[in-house]
Amino acid sequence: MPVTKRKHRDETSHRRGHSKPSRNAKKKKKTGPRLPSSLQKQLERLNPTVPIESDQDIDSADGDAAERDLLPHDFYEYEEQRAEEESKKNKRYDPGSVDNLQLPIDRSDESEDESIQSDDDNEDDDDDDGLKRTGGAADDDSSEEGDGRHTRMLQGITGMPSEAFEGKKKRKMKDDVIPELYPESEYNPSRDVVDGDGQISIDDLLNPLQDNPGFGKLRKRIQQIENNSKPIHAPLRTADQAKVERKVAYEISKKEVTKWQQIIQRNREAPTLLFDENVDLGFSTVGAIASEFEPRTEFERKMAALVSDDKVMEAHKKDGSRLLEMNMVSVEEEKDRQSRIAKMRSLLFRHEMKAKRLKKIKSKTYHRLLKKDRLKTEASKIQMDPEAAKEFAMKQERLRAEERMTLKHKNQNRWAKRILTRGLNSQDEGTRAAIAEQLQRHAELTRKMHSMKDSSSSSSDDSSDEDAGDSGSDQDMASKVLRKAIEKTKKVIEEDNETPKSGLLSLPFMRRGLEKRKEAVVEEANLAIQEYKDSKNKLENSVGSEDPETTSISGRRVFGASKTHISDAGNKVKSDYNYGSSDSEDDIRASKNGNIETGGSNILQKDVNSDSVLIQEDTDNHQESVFKDFNEIVKNPGPKTTYEVSLFVSDTWKKAKNRNEGGTNGKKSAIAAGPVRQDIKDTVKEAEEDSDTDSSGQMVDGILTAGSNLSYELPSQEELIRQAFAGDDVEDEFDKYKMEILNEENPEPEKPVLLPGWGQWTHVQKKKGLPSWMLKEHENAQKKREEAIKKRKDARLKNVIISEKINKKAEKLHTKALPFPFTSKEAFEQSMRVPIGPEFNPATAIGPLTRPEYLGVQYNECSDVFSELKKEEPYTKRNIRGGDREDRLLRLLRLLRPSSASVSGFLCNGRLVVCCPSHPPLCAGLLWFVLFGDLRRFSIQAVAVPRGEAPRLTSPRRTVPSLVAPGLPSPQYGGCGFLMEKADIYSFGVLILVIVSGRRPLHVLASPMKLEKANLISWCRHLAQAGNILELVDEKLKEHYNKDQASLCINLALACLQKIPGFERGDGS
Amino acid sequence: MDEAQDNHAIITKKKPSANQDISDELDLKIKKYLRGEAASFEDLKDRKLKRQLSVREELYGNAAKAAAKAEKWLMPNEGGYLEAEGIEKTWRIKQEAIAKEVGLVNLRNQYDIVLPDLGPYTLDFTSSGRYMAVGGRKGHLGIVDMINLNLIKEIQVAETVRDVVFLHNELFFAAAQKKFVYMYNRDGTEIRCLREHGAALKLQFLKNHFLLASVNKFGQLHYQDITMGEIVGNFRTGLGRTNVMQVNPFNAVVGLGHAGGTVTMWKPTSSAPLVKMLCHHGPVSALAFHPNGHLMATAGKDKRIKLWDLRKFEPLQTLTGHANTLDFSQKGLLACGVGSFVQVLNDVSGTQNYSKYMTHSMAKGYQIGRLAFRPYEDVLAIGHSMGWSSILIPGAGEPNFDTWVANPFETSKQRREKEVRSLLDKLPPETIMLDPSKIGTVKSTYREKPTKQEREAEVEAAVEAAKGTKLKNKTKGRNKPGKKIQKKQDAIARVKRPYLEEKINEEQKISHKKQKTSENIDLPKSLQRFARKKSS
Repeated sequence: MPVTKRKHRDETSHRRGHSKPSRNAKKKKKTGPRLPSSLQKQLERLNPTVPIESDQDIDSADGDAAERDLLPHDFYEYEEQRAEEESKKNKRYDPGSVDNLQLPIDRSDESEDESIQSDDDNEDDDDDDGLKRTGGAADDDSSEEGDGRHTRMLQGITGMPSEAFEGKKKRKMKDDVIPELYPESEYNPSRDVVDGDGQISIDDLLNPLQDNPGFGKLRKRIQQIENNSKPIHAPLRTADQAKVERKVAYEISKKEVTKWQQIIQRNREAPTLLFDENVDLGFSTVGAIASEFEPRTEFERKMAALVSDDKVMEAHKKDGSRLLEMNMVSVEEEKDRQSRIAKMRSLLFRHEMKAKRLKKIKSKTYHRLLKKDRLKTEASKIQMDPEAAKEFAMKQERLRAEERMTLKHKNQNRWAKRILTRGLNSQDEGTRAAIAEQLQRHAELTRKMHSMKDSSSSSSDDSSDEDAGDSGSDQDMASKVLRKAIEKTKKVIEEDNETPKSGLLSLPFMRRGLEKRKEAVVEEANLAIQEYKDSKNKLENSVGSEDPETTSISGRRVFGASKTHISDAGNKVKSDYNYGSSDSEDDIRASKNGNIETGGSNILQKDVNSDSVLIQEDTDNHQESVFKDFNEIVKNPGPKTTYEVSLFVSDTWKKAKNRNEGGTNGKKSAIAAGPVRQDIKDTVKEAEEDSDTDSSGQMVDGILTAGSNLSYELPSQEELIRQAFAGDDVEDEFDKYKMEILNEENPEPEKPVLLPGWGQWTHVQKKKGLPSWMLKEHENAQKKREEAIKKRKDARLKNVIISEKINKKAEKLHTKALPFPFTSKEAFEQSMRVPIGPEFNPATAIGPLTRPEYLGVQYNECSDVFSELKKEEPYTKRNIRGGDREDRLLRLLRLLRPSSASVSGFLCNGRLVVCCPSHPPLCAGLLWFVLFGDLRRFSIQAVAVPRGEAPRLTSPRRTVPSLVAPGLPSPQYGGCGFLMEKADIYSFGVLILVIVSGRRPLHVLASPMKLEKANLISWCRHLAQAGNILELVDEKLKEHYNKDQASLCINLALACLQKIPGFERGDGS
Repeated sequence: MDEAQDNHAIITKKKPSANQDISDELDLKIKKYLRGEAASFEDLKDRKLKRQLSVREELYGNAAKAAAKAEKWLMPNEGGYLEAEGIEKTWRIKQEAIAKEVGLVNLRNQYDIVLPDLGPYTLDFTSSGRYMAVGGRKGHLGIVDMINLNLIKEIQVAETVRDVVFLHNELFFAAAQKKFVYMYNRDGTEIRCLREHGAALKLQFLKNHFLLASVNKFGQLHYQDITMGEIVGNFRTGLGRTNVMQVNPFNAVVGLGHAGGTVTMWKPTSSAPLVKMLCHHGPVSALAFHPNGHLMATAGKDKRIKLWDLRKFEPLQTLTGHANTLDFSQKGLLACGVGSFVQVLNDVSGTQNYSKYMTHSMAKGYQIGRLAFRPYEDVLAIGHSMGWSSILIPGAGEPNFDTWVANPFETSKQRREKEVRSLLDKLPPETIMLDPSKIGTVKSTYREKPTKQEREAEVEAAVEAAKGTKLKNKTKGRNKPGKKIQKKQDAIARVKRPYLEEKINEEQKISHKKQKTSENIDLPKSLQRFARKKSS
């Protein structure tokens, strides 16, 4: 607020004094509210001062529109000012003093006394330190002292810093009238500036310069800046910056690459690619581009003028001595340059080494940060993504399970035990902490467990509670309680019986564990029940009255009945499932059921001996009858019921139950024999099914034999006669034979055979017949066979046998898998249907049908080597031996020449460099053959510079490891991910250097060489600058080489290694 | 060479009507040369492939067009048949009547050679139809040049000769004699004695594969490569003695007719017959294949002549009548001979519904042993007990010959060249199969699922391998035995894992399938109409 106010003041003063353009107003435009034009007009009417101001502004450069824009801001400002100045400081508000304020420094000193009354610059008395402002202000003003105390008090109470309460105070301070001693100037900044609240604006700095010459210019410039001002953001993090840069670079390079898309597509789709010498590739070499260069800008023209200066040209044309003269360099300059270059080089090298080292380093901090980042993202993910949250929950669950499995917190492992025996005190702090943590964990877990248990109410606790409860109560109550307890325990056991069918708990080992535990629980429960019963008996004895309801039998009955229900359900599920599941699963399930049920029966036997005997009898009866005749059972359930009625006269409901139970028991014992239901109807049905399965084998046979029989139509009279007179029964014979063949090619499954007495008593086996799984297996095999027979080609042909035997020899005539681009068999086969040989096609059609994929010239005669080669007779094994070394090289080159790549090459030091750049659209890359001197060993090294895809390395004898070195790709072109022609040129240069020097491009660690020599390229440059290039040449050559050729080669290499793109020559030149 | 043109009077030519659209004809031919439709490219996702295939199809279309045009210009001669006018019947027209109408050149093809002492005779033509080999049962062998009716060579081997057959050209022929099969050259010199064949009853030569096939007294089928001399196949048919044997010219499968009324088809690389079909209720007496390979004619002792479609292995037509010998001409006429009577059948309508076309009866007492159409001629040669005869059957032979395939006017140089070429193009015996057009197609090798034991063994081996790997010695602290054990166990678990996964997958698949089927089955019939229909 004060800032704006002051600005306004400045502005008005400027306007009056110098008729300044309304830049400040414009600046304020951003802060003020925008009003509709009607309102503005109203304001104009209400507020005559504003039009005056705008009138004054008319002569300024801004147009009407700008003026109109001004109005609301002025109004905005105006109101505020009004609020302050007119209400409180109107007396002191004096335009004259404002004028004084804007006076230059020397004058402001003079008018010190006058400006005492100027408005709110009351802080100039403590001009030294703005930081002590608040305290100072409080001390200065007695009126403010109370405030200060109040603040301190607030501070004391709330514990918040005093700044929180500052706002109020400041307003007050503003309201207060404080005389100002000095006029506002750069030496005497306004209070809010010193306070840190206000900002020193450019105006503040500019104002004092008003009268200086050049002020107008400065002001204009500043105005310009302000007009175009945009907020400058804080710079991005380097990582983000790099990201953005990469993105942009990617876009650009993508655009660059898409240039080729059309050509690539065309070539891809073309049935034949033609590689001709004269093919226009659509792009030119660097040299071609450079030759078309025309200077356009002034700078370029100047450069061109310098370069194509007559003198220079002349000098170039002549021997070059003149050029040397022109290029005269002083010694100091040269030295300076050299030292600079050396410094740069060393820096470069250091940087290289450092980068290398840094690349390897992965510090602890790095990992820590990495982990932190990861955790953070995970946390955020969990919050955002339900999937991730789920995963997290799973993880937690897993951790918990792990904890439970290992029980690490129990202090039972060796480590914990050892520590505990030694005593905690003797351990160091970390161990103690670990132990403490374990203990804590244990405590936590136990607490958790207890809370869980309470909710699910364990039986033993309950019963004990009840026991405790009933000890004091009377007997009736006690018996009731006991009954309840018994029922509850049973219920719990029943509940336990339900085994989970899926998830972790359904894993076999978990199930086993559960079963064991269950057994233990059951035993415990039994004991408890026994106990209850004993106590109840005691009670009953004491009372002497017998309650029919509370007989243990009834209780047991109930239990048994419900139990059977459950097991029934289980069994039903099981038996249903049997048809859809494999045998092994079935077995597991069956055995499990058996286990459960044996557990149940154990209880029964323990609890009610007499009854169990009865049941046994019953079941035996039942079982036998079941296996004797189902119908019989259907017919005479009567006697059994009566038998049971004699026991339980009271209600028929229980009878039914009992019978049911008997049935189930029978089933339990007969469980392996096959599904037998307690329900007679069911069993009968089942029996039918069983019989079905039994006879299914025969049935299948029947179908098989009937298959041929069925296709028989009723023979007509004629046919009958014919058959009668046919002499021998050929058709039958043929049918038999066909069956034989079928049996041979699709063998019939073996009939299930059971060894008598194996696994079971013989009489049991006889009764039960074959186990169901055997039958099932047999059935499956039969079905499979049937299907196979149905699929045969001759399945529907009565008197035909078509062999299905596979001929292994003929397999090579078929393709085993679809060739690559094809995805459907049909398409492939259809594309192969037309023969393309000359026997099947007219001569005019053969050409296009059999045209090869690539057509092109054999090689490019770009160098003399090849013209020589051409003259020579074709290579034979005989003539490679003779001739001198160079001739042999040439012949070898001929041998090496690839068929479809244009080849260029040159001789260098008796070493032959061959480069065969393949066609760029092929993207196959450059292929380099470098032959080293010794011909007898035929040692050939191939250097491949990849372009797009992996190059094909070929050498006549073996594939040689490629020599691609880190120094190879050019720094200017290598960075963008794909290589272009220029990069190849660079690589070519490096390659030449490698050949000539016999060293690697970067040869640092392996040798105690001077660091200078480590980087081959920089070393070469250095040598070139020093003028002794020949030092680069391999030392092993000693003096046996042509120095002119060598220097030529190195110069060529250097030309290729130009750092500024565009100056290197094409490799052809 | 085409007498069909000369037989103006009786043999009215079946010319293409002038109105017939030439382009239609051309289209038909193009269709023939395109050999089927291209697969639709619509469902191909690979654009590059699509483009390539469309280019290829275009090329095929051009080639077919060119071929059709070439055919039009290079095969100018049309075959013709006898056509009856009004009440006339083609089979009433006698050879004498034909003889009156044909020119001198063709008149020379009507003759009887009476050699009563050494008969009955059997015959064979070279593929060009220029030369004929004759073999008299009593040891008379000879080669005749059919153009000038010169006897090139005649020898007497002085033992039973059951069959003669030309090898790849007229220079060599093989004769099935009393005990062995012998190879002779044109000069009558015995070149080889092929003992492995035994007492062969019938010989056949597979000219693209250079295989000589024979069936001997014991019902054994032999294949011998005559270039290298190795026996390629030796199979017992197990169906008794037979002298009914014919090669299918389309796929080089050998057909044998047996006493049980069955016909078996063989290839040299399989010991079991490719096809065995019951054709007749009596013994099969004769067998012949149509040149296009899709049609087979069999004759049985049950007084039936049957025509079979070999693509479906179903009878097309059953005719009553006996035949001791059958032969198809190049144009698809079927000649049946029994006793001294020859009957030629023809499918006039082109629907493979054969009806009587011509008949010819020899002098009484002549027993016809063999009928053979002469290639590229309208001539039927009859080998019988009293020598051999030749009659004219209009429309029997292919009117145009391709000198690259078979040249009746071959010079010796051409013959030599062709010999070399055909040797280079010799097909291996395994290319013989029922449908040779399947060669080059995709046929994934049938791999049976590994048995349980095999799988277990595999797992065990893998586990052993995992156990056997030696662990690296780590730095101090990371080399604890506990860790080592842990690592080993981990490695074993890792090795086992894929197998277990595979197993589980399989089980799941099976259970899934079973559930599906059971769902379908489970529904009672009364409720089936309410079942949700499968979305197709």
